[in-house]
Amino acid sequence: MANSNLPRRIIKETQRLLSEPAPGISASPSEENMRYFNVMILGPTQSPYEGGVFKLELFLPEEYPMAAPKVRFLTKIYHPNIDKLGRICLDILKDKWSPALQIRTVLLSIQALLSAPNPDDPLSENIAKHWKSNEAEAVETGVFLITAKEWTRLYASGV
Amino acid sequence: MTIGSAGSSIVVPRNFRLLEELERGEKGIGDGTVSYGMDDGDDIYMRSWTGTIIGPLNTVHEGRIYQLKLFCDKDYPEKPPIVRFHTRIKMACVNHETGVVEAKKFGILANWQREFTMENILIQLKKEMAASYNRKLAQPPEGTYY
Repeated sequence: MANSNLPRRIIKETQRLLSEPAPGISASPSEENMRYFNVMILGPTQSPYEGGVFKLELFLPEEYPMAAPKVRFLTKIYHPNIDKLGRICLDILKDKWSPALQIRTVLLSIQALLSAPNPDDPLSENIAKHWKSNEAEAVETGVFLITAKEWTRLYASGV
Repeated sequence: MTIGSAGSSIVVPRNFRLLEELERGEKGIGDGTVSYGMDDGDDIYMRSWTGTIIGPLNTVHEGRIYQLKLFCDKDYPEKPPIVRFHTRIKMACVNHETGVVEAKKFGILANWQREFTMENILIQLKKEMAASYNRKLAQPPEGTYY
């Protein structure tokens, strides 16, 4: 049985995710595979993703917690640190991972990344350029904001 | 290394498994005589792939480049991908009208296991090209397609 030797730490984390979910985030393990989570993150207020419901998937590899969880977006999103396949460029998912971090902290960091993109470490050069130009002009009408909002409406409307 | 074979009960879900295969394919495999990549960089489910095999030395296939299509459906890797030659080839396990690699005539597809990868399939097909019953078969003109 796939789930019989699930480490205690993963069980604990899962229970807490279900009983005390972080605001705007839900994560629940799939029935067949307790290391595989369906995740939903609400677009943060005052970000171009506001009003959006973003689906992600998360997997705890065998080495977890010595290795980071694997996470990606399933909902299309216009963001300089997220590529077309939903892969996320975030330091704690790579070289800055520490076993002291948890599924919850990872998801909170991803939510924070939606509020504050990191254009100096982009996966998508084009989107980063738009984001920077928008920041420089500091106007609502920047290409980045318009496109990010449009994609949120088109792909993340949650219906 | 075989992707996804932890030797334990841990199952890498389809999408993360395909992401691993994608990254491995991008790095390049062995001597470069087989390679693969994704067809549509926008397809979040990573279904369509193109594989390439360079014909093995000392066979009729030497110097030829074969393109294949691999289709990984939602049930991959529980089920094998559908594998089809795009470049015309004469080979025992390949349907001569469609280019489809016929699972019942090709061991790795017939006896598919979850740990097997697209890389394994391409390497096995290259070996198959060099098998005694395939290596001397008269081939269609080079650069023709199904």
